[in-house]
Amino acid sequence: MTEELLRRTFELRGRDFENAGEKSTEVTSILKELDIDPDVILRVGVVTFEAEMNVVMYADKAILSFILTDDEIAIEVADQGPGIPNIELAMQPGYSTASDEMREMGFGYGMGLPNIKKNSDEFFLESQVGKGTKVYCMIRLNSNG
Amino acid sequence: MAELTHGFKIDREKCKGCLACMRVCPTHAIRVKDGKARYKPDHCIDCGVCLTACPWNSIGATTWSVEDLSRFKFKVAVPCPVLFGQFPTGITPANIVDGLLTLGFDAVWDYSVEIDLVARAIQEYVEKWKGATPLISISCPVVVRLVQVSYPRMADQLIPIQLPREIAGREVKRRYSADLGLNRDDIAAIYITPCQAKTISILQPAEGAVSHLDGTLGITDVYNAVLAYASLQKDETSKSGHRPIIRNSTFLRLHASEGLGHLLPVHRYLRVTGLANTIHVFNDIEKGKLRNVDFLEAYSCWSGCSGGNLTVANVYVTRSKFHSLARNLPEMDAETQTEVERRYSIEDFTLDAPIRPRPIKGRTAGTLKEKVQMVQLAESTLAGLPGLNCGLCGAPTCKELARDVSIGEAAKQDCILLSKNRLQELQRTYLRETE
Repeated sequence: MTEELLRRTFELRGRDFENAGEKSTEVTSILKELDIDPDVILRVGVVTFEAEMNVVMYADKAILSFILTDDEIAIEVADQGPGIPNIELAMQPGYSTASDEMREMGFGYGMGLPNIKKNSDEFFLESQVGKGTKVYCMIRLNSNG
Repeated sequence: MAELTHGFKIDREKCKGCLACMRVCPTHAIRVKDGKARYKPDHCIDCGVCLTACPWNSIGATTWSVEDLSRFKFKVAVPCPVLFGQFPTGITPANIVDGLLTLGFDAVWDYSVEIDLVARAIQEYVEKWKGATPLISISCPVVVRLVQVSYPRMADQLIPIQLPREIAGREVKRRYSADLGLNRDDIAAIYITPCQAKTISILQPAEGAVSHLDGTLGITDVYNAVLAYASLQKDETSKSGHRPIIRNSTFLRLHASEGLGHLLPVHRYLRVTGLANTIHVFNDIEKGKLRNVDFLEAYSCWSGCSGGNLTVANVYVTRSKFHSLARNLPEMDAETQTEVERRYSIEDFTLDAPIRPRPIKGRTAGTLKEKVQMVQLAESTLAGLPGLNCGLCGAPTCKELARDVSIGEAAKQDCILLSKNRLQELQRTYLRETE
């Protein structure tokens, strides 16, 4: 049986490059304290960081939820933003709608969503144009796949 | 895993429990109980900040003395390049070598060949690497321990290539045992070190590493004797006829300002010095903010090894001396080049095993649920603490006290604002002598 052990929610703001990555660090430092397998922490770090960057680059604001149970970690990011018109395209590695400015900062190479999916054991995305996007990811504690 | 014996010893007689070391320790490895400082060994990364901070001289480092050398038949000094920047103008590298020989060494090893060999091995490794970046140099043992303890996720990014000083130790033993017909164990390869952290890394290497060096002497241990001898020889040519110790500028540049970066021109390279700066950069790496760097060299000491805590000269003077020495030398000389070509293909430079994380103990026992409860206990405890970080509880910050409480190593009542008993206890401990 899966029991919820810990839940945290964080508010994210669009355009906030200054604090980008902070929530990802907060989540991973909790996992470090809990002595979670470093490989799992690494994957959670990638997923939360990329999700956070997506919000910072494209959305207005979002809620990031982190839920730990005894066998898995779920990360959910629900944003208020432009939404994704063509999800299939957005999931293609290298596809990006980032501005040149973002690329100069080292982001926007079209690897965000593919990276999130690659590092999740379960991945689910829904989006409504003009309203926002919701990303759900699950990472199992005892798998490294 | 073997128990780690750290390089520092706190002399309980001399320690006044003044909190100076606890306040400066970058990894919060020190607690003060009953008026005496003590280490949490799993937190300590051997940086030596505590040693410098202690006003009572109660923290000592593990070092060898010249007498420890006597048990070896043939003793070879392997001096860190920093040594050559320590002496007053007019004292040449040759004078310094003669000074070391007078001190009881049978030979002095110049490891510029090994620096170049290792640089090549690193370059090859960096080029082939497909994993997370940046790759991190293992030159500074404090940085290695910092990654093992505080950034376990980045342990795979530590470059598993042996260090020039280690390859030098191996070559010293091979060469002299063959030339002199001695057993390898009779030959001592002694590193002349700018800091105690390297001593610890040699006496007790990080997991996966094996030291080919037998021991160390601090630059401070040899300085006076070498200076006294060399001052007499000043400006004279070497009497021992030892071949010139420094034949190219690579040897000096390693520690002058450039690290290995100039030898690895094709890679995006970053050099960081100072522990606080290193931690800052590592945090950025963890956050994914440092994306365009392939190779990172970080040094715990500000300005790198010239700023080591067993050095004598001011780092700026050392650096300027390096520049003037390097000016008259070619970047590479034919003899070194030939030797590098010869050895590179026949020697192996990889560490015996990769360096593994060494996470802090404390929550390793118990189920995940129990660990979550501990974290929650730490959070609720912290909420009830004043946030003054005064340190009078014996922990450096309120957050650390809360963490100690959660793992059963301290009590909330250790806080002076929460308990009158604690105040009285401190009065008894600290005011006793003036009564």
